[in-house]
Formats: sequence, C-alpha cells, structure tokens
Amino acid sequence: MNRTTFVLAATCAIVGAADVAAQRGQRIDPVTTAQAAAPVDLTGSWVSIVTEDWRWRMVTPPKGDYARVPLTPEGRKVADTWDLTRDVAQGNQCRPFGAGNIMRMPGRLQMTWSDPHTLKIEYDAGSQTRLLHFDKSRKPSGERTWQGWSVAEWEFVGGNGRGRGGSARGGSLKVVTTGMRAGYLRKNGVPYSENMVMTEYFDRHTEPNGDDWFTVMTIIDDSRYLTQPFVLTTSFKKEQDNLKWRPTPCEIAPPLK
Amino acid sequence: MQAMAVVATLAWVALSGVARPAAAPQTPQRQPTPQRNIDDVDVQVLPVRGNIYMLVGAGGNVTLQIGRDGVLVVDSGSGPKSDAIVAAIRRLTDRPIRWIVNTHYHSDHTGGNRTVSKAGRSIPQVAIGAGRLFTDADDVANIVAHENVLKRMTTQTGEGASAANENRPVATFFGDEEELFFNGEPILLIHQPSAHTDGDVLVFFRRSDIVAAGDIFVTHSYPVIDIAAGGTFGGYLDALNNVIHITIPEEKQEGGTYVIPGHGRLSDEADVVDVRDMVTIVRDRIQSMIARGMTLDQVKAARPTLDYDDRYRASGGTWTPDMFVEAAYRTLSPTAVKAGS
Amino acid sequence: MKPLLFLILASLLSPGLAFAQIDLAGDWRGVSHEDTFSRGGVVIGEYVGLPLTDGGRLRADSWDPSLLTVPEHQCIPHPVTYAEHSYAMNQMRIWTVIDPETAQVVAIRKRGTWMEPERTIWLDGRRPPPEFAAHTWQGFSTGRWEGNMLTVTTTHIKSGHLQMNGVTTSDDVTMTEHFIRRGNYLTNITILNDPVYLTESFIRSSTWVLDPTLNFVPYPCGPNEVVVEIPRPPGAVPHHLPGTNKLLAEFATIHGLPAEAARGGAETMYPEYMEKMKTMKPATAAATR
Repeated sequence: MNRTTFVLAATCAIVGAADVAAQRGQRIDPVTTAQAAAPVDLTGSWVSIVTEDWRWRMVTPPKGDYARVPLTPEGRKVADTWDLTRDVAQGNQCRPFGAGNIMRMPGRLQMTWSDPHTLKIEYDAGSQTRLLHFDKSRKPSGERTWQGWSVAEWEFVGGNGRGRGGSARGGSLKVVTTGMRAGYLRKNGVPYSENMVMTEYFDRHTEPNGDDWFTVMTIIDDSRYLTQPFVLTTSFKKEQDNLKWRPTPCEIAPPLK
Repeated sequence: MQAMAVVATLAWVALSGVARPAAAPQTPQRQPTPQRNIDDVDVQVLPVRGNIYMLVGAGGNVTLQIGRDGVLVVDSGSGPKSDAIVAAIRRLTDRPIRWIVNTHYHSDHTGGNRTVSKAGRSIPQVAIGAGRLFTDADDVANIVAHENVLKRMTTQTGEGASAANENRPVATFFGDEEELFFNGEPILLIHQPSAHTDGDVLVFFRRSDIVAAGDIFVTHSYPVIDIAAGGTFGGYLDALNNVIHITIPEEKQEGGTYVIPGHGRLSDEADVVDVRDMVTIVRDRIQSMIARGMTLDQVKAARPTLDYDDRYRASGGTWTPDMFVEAAYRTLSPTAVKAGS
Repeated sequence: MKPLLFLILASLLSPGLAFAQIDLAGDWRGVSHEDTFSRGGVVIGEYVGLPLTDGGRLRADSWDPSLLTVPEHQCIPHPVTYAEHSYAMNQMRIWTVIDPETAQVVAIRKRGTWMEPERTIWLDGRRPPPEFAAHTWQGFSTGRWEGNMLTVTTTHIKSGHLQMNGVTTSDDVTMTEHFIRRGNYLTNITILNDPVYLTESFIRSSTWVLDPTLNFVPYPCGPNEVVVEIPRPPGAVPHHLPGTNKLLAEFATIHGLPAEAARGGAETMYPEYMEKMKTMKPATAAATR
C-alpha cells in the first residue's frame, strides 16, 4: 500500500471511529468542547411547573407519608423518625435540597457554561449549585457534598454533532451523580443514602405554541433504602428572563398536619 | 488505477456522511383551530357510512342517501349554495334526486328546496313506503316534511316570506311518524313536538344506522329554542333523550349509530349524551333559580351556563348564552308552562 | 486488486450510521412512583396544580360521581387526555403496523387494560380528518420522529375527564406527546391545550418499564355489562347545583391546605405560590354530606 492510499484508509478509520463514538455519547475528539458539541441548548432560565405530586412538592407532607416510594424496611424506619427540628439543629436543613430531590423542589434554575466542559445549574431553592462535568479526566476531591459529583455526556442521535454530512439531529444530556451526602427524596425525610447513584436524562422539547420545555428523567438507585430504582420525570418551562429568580436558604416549612 | 481508488474512496467518505436513511416523513403541525362556524366553508362532502353522506358548508348540514332508486336529500341548505349542493350530488352520482326531507322550516335548512327540487324529478304516481305520500308533479323532486313546516313557511310574513313560500314542502304528514322505503332501506321520520320548533323531524336511516337530527342536535352552539315557532326547552330535552334512546354505540360507547347534526361535526351517541347532560344541568339550575323567585335578569347575572359558554357560544353572536338562558327561562317558568308556551 | 481491498477495508472501518426509528413495541408496566393519586385516587375538589378556567372549575364542582352509574356513561373509557397517565395504562401493550408492500412501519398501536383504551399513531404522514369529522375517545394521532423522541399530535378528541373528579377537557382539546425510550424505560410527556377549560398548557409525564412477563389482562365493558344500577327518571343527570357541593372542602381539610389552594388555577403550578400560601390559613370547615 502506498503513502496516499494509507492516508485515505486511516482517514476512513478515524472518521468511522468518531461516528461510533458519537453514537455512544463519548467525547468526539480532544479539540471539540462539550459546549460546542451540544446537540441541544439547555442554557437559560427555567421554572418548574408543578402539576404532579403537588402535595409532596409545594407543601411539606406529613411524616410517614411516603406513598409509592419503594422503600426498604430500613428506609421506612428512617422516614418514620424524621425530625425537622433535629435536622436544623444539626445543620442538616439542606437534606431535602440535595441532588436527589433538588429537581423536584419547586423553584427556578439557571443553566450556564462555567467553562466549555462544565455545565452549571444554579437553583434558587436552597441556593444550590450543581456542576455537570463533561471532562472525564477531572475527578472529585473525595469530600461528599449535597450535590455530589456529576459526570455528564451528550447523547447524540443520527449525527456526530459536528455537521459532517448534515447538522446534528438532536440529542439529550445524560448525567450520573455520585458522592452525595445522605439526603431526602422528599421534604418530609424520605431518605437516600450516600451510596445513592442518580442517573438523569435531560430532553428538550418545543411545543407548537412556541413554549420551550425540558423534562428530566431521574433514576435513583439506592440498595440501602430502595427496593428498586425510583423513577421520576420532572418538567421545566423556559422563561424569557430571570426577573423572578429568588434565591432562598435551605428552609422548609413544617408539615401542615 | 490508484487515482481511481482515491476518487472512489473520497466519494465514499463523502457519501457515507450524507447518505443517511431518510428521516421519518415530517407530518405538518396542526395548530389548534379556533371555534368557527363551519357552515361558512365551501361545501364539503364527508362519507358517513355506506351510501350516506354529510355535506357541510351550505348553511345547515345536508344529508344524502344515494342508491339505485335515486337520491334522498335531508334538508337543502340556506339557498345561496344550492347550486353547490347539486354539484356535489352530481359528483357522487348521476341518479336523479327524488326526495327532499326537511327536518324543520328554518331557511338555513329549506332555502335550497326549490333549486334542489328542480334539479330532480319524482317517481310519478308511485307511493313510497306506507303509501301515504304522493306527488302531483313528476318533474321535480318531492319535498316532505311535517305539516307544521308547511304551516310555518306559508304563513311567514316579512322578509323571507316569498322565498319560504317557494320552498315549501308539498308532501306533509301530521302524525308522530312517517315511513319511507328508499334505496333498499327503511327510513323513519319521527316528529319531535315542541322541540327546536313545532315541526321538527328526526330522519332515521335504519339499515345505515344513521340519524339526521336537524337542529334537534347541534354541536356548534347552544341549542336554539325557537319559542315563536313553538319550540320549548322541555320538548327539546325530550327530543335529545329520544335520540339517545334510538342510538346504539358499537363499542366503548362510541361509533355505532351516527348522528348528523343540523350544524357541526358528525357525532355519535356519546356526543348527544354530552349535549343532553349540559342541557339538563342548565335546566335544573334555571329551574332552581325560578323556584327561588329570581327574575330573568337575575338569572342571567348568575351565569348558569358559565362552564359551557366558552364551548357553545356561537361565533358571530347569532345565538348567545343569554339568548339560550332566556329561552329556557321563558319556557320553564311556571307562567309559561301554565300558558302552554 | 489493492484498491478494491482498500475500499473493502475502509468500509469495514467506517460503519454507516443507520438512523432507525426506535422500537417502542412490547408489553410495558407502569412505574407508578409519581402522580399516583391523580391516576385513580384523586379527591373531589382537588384541583391543585391545574390551570383551570372559571368554567372548568364550575364544571368540576358540579360533577357527581353518580353520573358514572347512568347507563350511557357506564362504558365510557378514559379519553386519551387522561388514559395515558391513568391506571388504564398501568399495563400497556404496543405493537407496530407494517405496510405489507413496503415493509415500512406505518403506525404504532397502543392498548391499555381498564375499559381497553386503544389508539393508533399514524407515522405515514397522513393528514388529520376535516374538522367536521367525528371525534373519538382516543382522537386522531399522527407522529414523527425528532431525534430519539417520537412526537405525536392528537386532535378530534371527545370531551371527557382529565381527572376522575369532574375536571374535564372539552372536545376542542389538542394534545402533544413525546415518547422517549431509554433501554427498558419508556417515558411519555404529554402537553394539553384546551381553550375552553385550561388557561395554559398542562404538562404531565409518566414512565413505564418493559416487562416481557406482563400478564396483560383486558378489562372490557360491553353492552351486556350496562345495567340500571340506580332507578331514575328517564334522562336524569346527577349533578350538584352551584354552591351546594359540600364535598368540595374535604381535600383541603384533610391535608391542612388553604381552601383557596385546593381550587387550583395556573398560579398553583408556579413556585412563587408557596410564598402566597404562607399568607393563607388552612381550611378548617369539616365536610358534611
């Protein structure tokens, strides 16, 4: 094989490998940033629209109300002994605002790129911040935090996002979060352990009337407190500005009953 | 050869980027259509079942039954689009128009009688069905209706009187029912007294399992109660319940007997039940207000139709919620009942 | 020969990206970890998180569950506006319809169990029927793939319940859905627009898990199952006159919510409503029959 033929064959191999990699959601190449490669734009100001599980999200449900959460006996025991006053006294008032529940908290969030490989989500509820890391070479410090350590990747569909052979045909954001401090799946002390693994898929959709939404599917695996994966879907609508952005501290009202 | 390999390779690389299987065809986005009066669209034909068709856009809806005997037409529209009705029939068949059946006397259902009738011809000196309907003329299609339709159309005064007279039916009946047999199908004409008017008729195609309801059932507005023409709220409700009585759904409470409304979309029993429920609830509300001694203005102010207004308020303001409430009030109040109105 | 070998090698190394529609077929079991009570246990007077119009609220206030015993109401299935997120779809079967000539998928069909809601989603680009065509409980649906998402538009839907407590959608409602499959999970995001009873778009979402061992048990309602359960005069329609439904206060009272919150409205969907509720007193009036 001569030099020219070799170069052409190598080109095909590289392009083919890139295509396969793109389908599997890996970084395309060292040069393209996650921000540049984004198949969907999730940045902007978003507001949660609470049409589901209203009385578990908009108000604090009573202790022991963990309907439909597939808790283990140990999980139920922890939920049944929830004490809001104790949590506050011990500095754990942010437990319901951890990664395992922050998307279910009624509130607003702002998504921006803190750097070309890191997507930042800021929540006004509890004044929380999550960093979604696309650069897999970065590693967590080892300290557990309320929001844990999130590894993100784009899932492409029908293209590599770089315009080869046509523009990308869309995609989603996949995030896997670990390294969290133990927190609550609901405001009333339904627990998740620090061993919890949370997988999220963010999908953006635009409706015929022009409304922009994203819906996040959350799968929570916690062998200590859950008998099966706990699956939720939560929707956010885009707002044209952030005039209603109101950061608040970690604070929940006592149960109504 | 080497150059060819290079060219072929480059071409393959380029094509592998663009030659993706085509995406699924993009269906056009349908935007929600605001409530509008489909009486004003161009005349359109909707096949209903077998040889029964529904025409919209000519005023009131028109029903066609087509077969080897000819064409039977239920209502003839409002007049200005009569030619379009005839043209639509001609696109479907070249068989002659034999019968026009009027569901009631209003001009949006009878305005095309003369034009459509003149476009057809009867079967001379032949009795149809039970043998009670004859015609003298054989060069026009027969126009059949309850005799109250003839009375209303020949005693009408003022604007429209002349047209009404020209469009009047000539073959009338005065009992509770009349029978026809046409195109291999028994057809029952059922008089509904004191409903929308005093001359309403349901046309029940028994084999096709289709009811042409005239304005006894409409989907585009509140039911119209023409008090001056003998309509009453109670009679209207009785008529709706009779439609429900004779309709049978196929499965899952849908399909089966279709109902062609006087205005609006093709329907079935469940749609009639929806309107019947609404009319019953509004009646009960107004009756309770009357029982408490409320005046008409007080009843209107209480908005007894609030939960239905955004659905049934007719476009163009021709029949408003207040008009509907007033018609109910006038025919449900004790004095009205006592006076027999 | 070398160039030919080279081309063969290149094709092996650079697989074409075969973008195929994602297969949604199979038996699916509902993952009922959210919105459980709205799917079959909602309470009279529970309108939280619903962007109701005043007319929609009155319509729900007037509803009496006894209406379900009226013979012509007994076999009504859940309309598609509710069925997709109800217990009727806790067991769901999806299959594809293939054109025998072209071998292409032209439609997807879905069926639930309770009252057997069944619908067809056309993928062949056909247009909806005219506006004066008949409406059905499941409407007329057309779909198109947007990346990994099947977006479905449904029109021609009959008027029916949005929740089983009298909250109703009109026959002017339209529905947009997005079906997304990820491995063995299937998510449906539904957005309703109803100019009669909703002031804003209403969004809900549900997830199913693929279950090849599912025992799919239809629960039909046939004509021979319609009986007169409660003797009534012909044409009687159970309902509550305005202001007389004493059950409306139960939901707020049981859960200690402000009565106003239970009345719903678009503002109850937004996070700032939590602040507003801090200024309200919980409902205290006990409901009595």
